[in-house]
Amino acid sequence: MKRIIIDREKCDGCLNCNIACISAHEEGSNFYTVNMQSPEAETRNFIKFDAQKGYLPIFCRHCDEPECVLSCMSGALEKDPLTGHVQYDESKCAACYMCVMNCPYGVLKPDKQTRTKVIKCDFCEDKPDGPSCVKACPKKAIEVKEVSL
Amino acid sequence: MKIVIIGASAAGISAAKTIKTSEPDTEVVIISKEDSVHSRCMLHKFLGHERDAKGISFIADNFFESSGITWLNNTTVIGLDAQKKTVKTHDNQDISYDKLLIATGASYFIPPIPGLRESKNVYGFRDLKDAQLLDNECNTAQNAVVIGAGLVGMDAAVAMLERGLKVTVIEMTQAVMSLQLDQKSAQAYQQLFEEHGAEFILNDKVVSVDVDEVGRGKTIHLASGKAVPADVIVIAAGVRPAFNFTEGSGIDTNHAILVGDDLKTNIDDIYAAGDVTGIAGIWPNAMKQGRIAAINMLGEKLLYEDRYALKNTVNFYGLTTLSLGNINPEPEENCEILMREDRYNYQKVVLKKGVVQGVIIQGNIGGTGFWQYLIKNKIDVSGINKDVFSLSYADFYDQDQNTGEYRYAV
Repeated sequence: MKRIIIDREKCDGCLNCNIACISAHEEGSNFYTVNMQSPEAETRNFIKFDAQKGYLPIFCRHCDEPECVLSCMSGALEKDPLTGHVQYDESKCAACYMCVMNCPYGVLKPDKQTRTKVIKCDFCEDKPDGPSCVKACPKKAIEVKEVSL
Repeated sequence: MKIVIIGASAAGISAAKTIKTSEPDTEVVIISKEDSVHSRCMLHKFLGHERDAKGISFIADNFFESSGITWLNNTTVIGLDAQKKTVKTHDNQDISYDKLLIATGASYFIPPIPGLRESKNVYGFRDLKDAQLLDNECNTAQNAVVIGAGLVGMDAAVAMLERGLKVTVIEMTQAVMSLQLDQKSAQAYQQLFEEHGAEFILNDKVVSVDVDEVGRGKTIHLASGKAVPADVIVIAAGVRPAFNFTEGSGIDTNHAILVGDDLKTNIDDIYAAGDVTGIAGIWPNAMKQGRIAAINMLGEKLLYEDRYALKNTVNFYGLTTLSLGNINPEPEENCEILMREDRYNYQKVVLKKGVVQGVIIQGNIGGTGFWQYLIKNKIDVSGINKDVFSLSYADFYDQDQNTGEYRYAV
């Protein structure tokens, strides 16, 4: 399967990946027009900073054994057997947030506006060029690579 | 090989899926007493008319056909012959198996209170059938009484409030959801429910129910002397593992079906998973147990080690809470309790010698999944030179160089 591979030494914390993610999920927007103030502006990836370790990019791994899928009681989260990616069907989601509790890496979060859905990386599955965050990274700290399951 | 699974909820379905994914040639038969597959955690959405029966299913429409699984619905298992390796159904079929998975869950329990069991308008809130019966009552009832303010009772209450009923919740302890919350976080929910019309009677219990001439409970009498009128009564006072049919089969049980770490019972070829094992009454654990039991039935040896069950999330009226571990320690446990709050959030961390024992995060619960790992694995956080409330997965950041998956650096 394809996974976003992280080279954290290269990350300089510019947060272009955050903006790209928000823009990718705001229909018709681009880097210059994206409304960062919108209540719906939510990033699916995070960069944490630590004084000793530097920048720590936190991106959904679409895990081999996804705890979020195992905890989902509505069938909204499923691991696609072909792509290996964990897909989210908002219409099925009951917003119980067991997935938020069970993601060991703290990647998942409720939407801040309504608390009726989960904000989760969809690997920009609908974009021909792949994940927008990867395209936006000027340091090539994140790259899509094929990994064996 | 033929595998028979009794029960079509989290554990049963997860086991069937696992079997059909790893060894598609295995014959799988699922027997369930319900005629639908549904998520019981969404019953309140059905009762509240937010979703229909199909909307609370957690499998694809054509799940059984497309995965080649035989489903005997509306079928109750009433007996088990471990020597002949057959199960007997209510309609007198003997169904043979090579391996059997018992995933029959739990059923609710009506306490022996005078008048309560006899009342025809008393319902549990466990299966779609319960919710359908309640749904009918809600069309005409005005006063609803919920006995028990745990998660199930609160689910029932929120749905009936949605339907416009006057809802009174009676609870023995001093706060709602006392297994998941502390006083302060419980108060926040109680207030939200009250704003939506609910009434709570805490620190009290039902002593008797007056039954009218047609057999319906009409007035509920409490230990305090209060009397509450009721057109419909929901009992949410706990559940018990459901395994009547194993009597005489030789399977070891106490209050639940006893299994080893491989989820096998004392009898070869018979496994159990989910609520019926009494290990953990929550969805994620049942799913995982179903998966592991399935893998073991196929001849592998995988152990169920994720026994940690003191965890839950709550979401009512958009107020979200994560609750993990020991959140209400006794004074003699000598725990350190740290709290932080602002207008929208309440956070509490219980520490003992630098190890997190429990947390409550109410409000913004985004990114809080790492807490469970810390508690489950008894990680000492005292060496990390920062405020405990600013911890995140980043403090334990590590990656597998080959797969790019995350790990914990502790």
